[in-house]
Amino acid sequence: MLVNLQGPWSPLLGRLAMSQIPYENPILVGTFLLVVALGMAILGAVTYYGKWRYLWREWLTTVDHKKIGIMYILVGLVMLLRGFADAAMIRSQQAMAVGPDSPGYLGALHGYLTPFHFGQIYTAHGVIMILFAATPILVGIMNIIVPLQVGARDMAYPYLNAVGLWLTTAGAALVMTALFIGDFAHAGWFGSLPLNELPYSPGVGVDYWIWAMQLSSVGTTLGGINLIATIVKMRAPGMTWMRLPMFTWASLSANIISLTSFPVLTVSLALLTLDRYLGTHFYTAGMGGNLMLYNDLFWIWGHPEVYFVILPAFGMLSEIIPVFSEKTLFGYTGMVLASFGIAGVSWGVWLHHFFTMGSAPDVNAFYSVSTMLVGIPTGVKVFNWLFTMYRGRLRFDLPMIWACAALFFLLAGGMTGMMNAFTTNDYMVHNSVFVVAHFHLMLLLIVYAIFGAVNFWFPKVFGFKLNERWGKWFFWFFTAGTATVFIPMFTLGFMGMTRRLDYIPYTQWQPLLDAEMAGIVLYSLSAVYLVVQLYVSLRDRALNRVGADPWGTSRSLEWATPSPVPFYNFAYIPHVNARDEWAWRRENGVAQLRHEHYTGIHMPRNTGVPLVLGGLSLGLAFALVWRMWWLAALCLAGIVLLVIMRSFARNTDYTVPPEEVKRVEDAVWAGASVRGADGVRSGAGGLTPAHAPWAPK
Amino acid sequence: MTHSADNPLEHPEVQLADGRGYLLVYLFSSALLGAATWLVAKQAMAPLGLFLLTTALAGVVVVAQGVFLLHMEFSETQRWHTVSLVLFIPLFILTIGLSSWMFHGLYRRTMLTPRTAAPAAAASAGAPAMPGMDR
Repeated sequence: MLVNLQGPWSPLLGRLAMSQIPYENPILVGTFLLVVALGMAILGAVTYYGKWRYLWREWLTTVDHKKIGIMYILVGLVMLLRGFADAAMIRSQQAMAVGPDSPGYLGALHGYLTPFHFGQIYTAHGVIMILFAATPILVGIMNIIVPLQVGARDMAYPYLNAVGLWLTTAGAALVMTALFIGDFAHAGWFGSLPLNELPYSPGVGVDYWIWAMQLSSVGTTLGGINLIATIVKMRAPGMTWMRLPMFTWASLSANIISLTSFPVLTVSLALLTLDRYLGTHFYTAGMGGNLMLYNDLFWIWGHPEVYFVILPAFGMLSEIIPVFSEKTLFGYTGMVLASFGIAGVSWGVWLHHFFTMGSAPDVNAFYSVSTMLVGIPTGVKVFNWLFTMYRGRLRFDLPMIWACAALFFLLAGGMTGMMNAFTTNDYMVHNSVFVVAHFHLMLLLIVYAIFGAVNFWFPKVFGFKLNERWGKWFFWFFTAGTATVFIPMFTLGFMGMTRRLDYIPYTQWQPLLDAEMAGIVLYSLSAVYLVVQLYVSLRDRALNRVGADPWGTSRSLEWATPSPVPFYNFAYIPHVNARDEWAWRRENGVAQLRHEHYTGIHMPRNTGVPLVLGGLSLGLAFALVWRMWWLAALCLAGIVLLVIMRSFARNTDYTVPPEEVKRVEDAVWAGASVRGADGVRSGAGGLTPAHAPWAPK
Repeated sequence: MTHSADNPLEHPEVQLADGRGYLLVYLFSSALLGAATWLVAKQAMAPLGLFLLTTALAGVVVVAQGVFLLHMEFSETQRWHTVSLVLFIPLFILTIGLSSWMFHGLYRRTMLTPRTAAPAAAASAGAPAMPGMDR
């Protein structure tokens, strides 16, 4: 039943052999040594400071939505770094391999990357940046903020939340494994068929790509179910639909998209898996296969995925801009409708990714019009943000600077998107770097919103502000890098440069390619400033402690909790009185009211099962990539067994006694550090006093 | 957040389970789908009539199963399940409908099957193609 494979296979190791370890490639060997050194340093530090127990009890087995969110963001940041390294290699290769006289190194005819290696790098860059950097960071922020905004003590399904995290982490780990064992896919992040079929890609790269995408897809779907259930069922009394904070609305619309679209990705990849493993002909060229079906299925997921990542970013802007304009959000109802308008239209535009495939003109015209329709709700949002700022008391703190720049990228990326929406234009720029520059601007809008959100909510999660001065250096260098990379890229696109070139025949493009390389240098410098910002902020955290409302003009419910937030979020489930609850409480003089007496709090208990499930899933995926059937069967049996055992577990929750709640509450509002004797610990990263003048005493 | 639900039988969705209802709707669905199969096998009417009738029968079965098996109703417990299932319909129409429309045009333009290739070959043998003519 299984397809015959090229090359050796053994029952024990499957396709794995020493020849699959790229020890002859100095780039990969250097990277491996760096990873080993960093890993040893981290493990050594954990051992030296005796933090294993803490790491296990507080983080690895946690079901606390805030800690899970932080870990999602950490995974995303590590993968962001990897994705950036890939980008730097793409840019440097293109700057070096220009014209027939350009020299070649490390076995490459021009530049230093062979075409096959270059293909793997741009594929990994796309997969990582979208699925393993942007998505986990956004899911992480939604995880932290949404329960706080709706007045819940955790997500609807805390255990499922942890499972989602560890599945996503397993997917990311699989992509990283491909660096050092075997190859990664080389046919683009969205996969080109029939190039991804076994006869044309006989190695394990495509299999790594399939299983990494599948793991992350399952993880994100579970996360989507959880967030929707949390928003629908866990809202505090008084938190009616039209009082929901805008970020929560955006998260709801985004997760409806994820829940409905990710299964399509699962199916489209499963069909490819059947082709590659069992020899079916879903996407083959001939034998009854239809390779265009793959494009159709993939982008039915792919375009909604674009809005899955962009809607939370819009939600972040909707939270940041009112706080730093000292006004309510303009056009709340319009914003809600626009979010769902975008989510709805996202299901009818996917064909614009392959206008040139040969569809009938009326089909292309339909998708052209539907794509342009996206501009209407998006325009509503842009105008609402502008009207929010209009005649407001504007303050340009770090989050606001990032948010304003995000608006610029939304316009620049959106307008170039409108250009591509015209089928006639698209025929000219399809597969050119103009399109690449366009969607990078849209993704940069998300990145800018994320950095704004991180600066905005960081004090809420950790109890101290990030350093403003170094943050601004980071912002300006990052922005300079963006301009220097992408303005030349748009120009090159108009000049006819197609994407994914490992060799550029036209020497007249050299200056623009060099400019893009200079942009990468600016980006690298900005990363240094980011590290400095984090270091200085951590070093000076005692000086930058904040109270419940670090910005003084915050509006939504999450700012009613102490900073950092205790593990149970709210000592009492809050009663919500207004759309901007915290602003309402401030204006009505009840922000500083506290309870005299407390009752026990029902909380979920930590468990190591999700971590083990993630490990077993990684093992299963690795075994399937290398076709080690015994290992795959073992891991699958382990997963099934563990899930059954967990379903019989009864000791999954506990009640925090009232005296413990009182002790933690007294401490967080007074500013003392708290660590419970039973391991119950406040906050996401330690406890901090509330020194700000507006903080409740 | 987990809730103390040590007895799964007390879960509201489990409480909705109804063996007699399951059995009845199973028999009802089998009867209607059997009737549809029989109509098609016997070619009991013109193709368009068959298409409409079998579609209608399938629709009735879907509704019956939705109500009796999936308990699509507007009670407190089931309201959101019903909303989710109903919202699935426009997505189904969009994805399947638009894909079918796209492939219909695409096949005519790019996939020369033997049936369409033969007239095309005959036409090209008879007269030279006009410049720019879509072939």
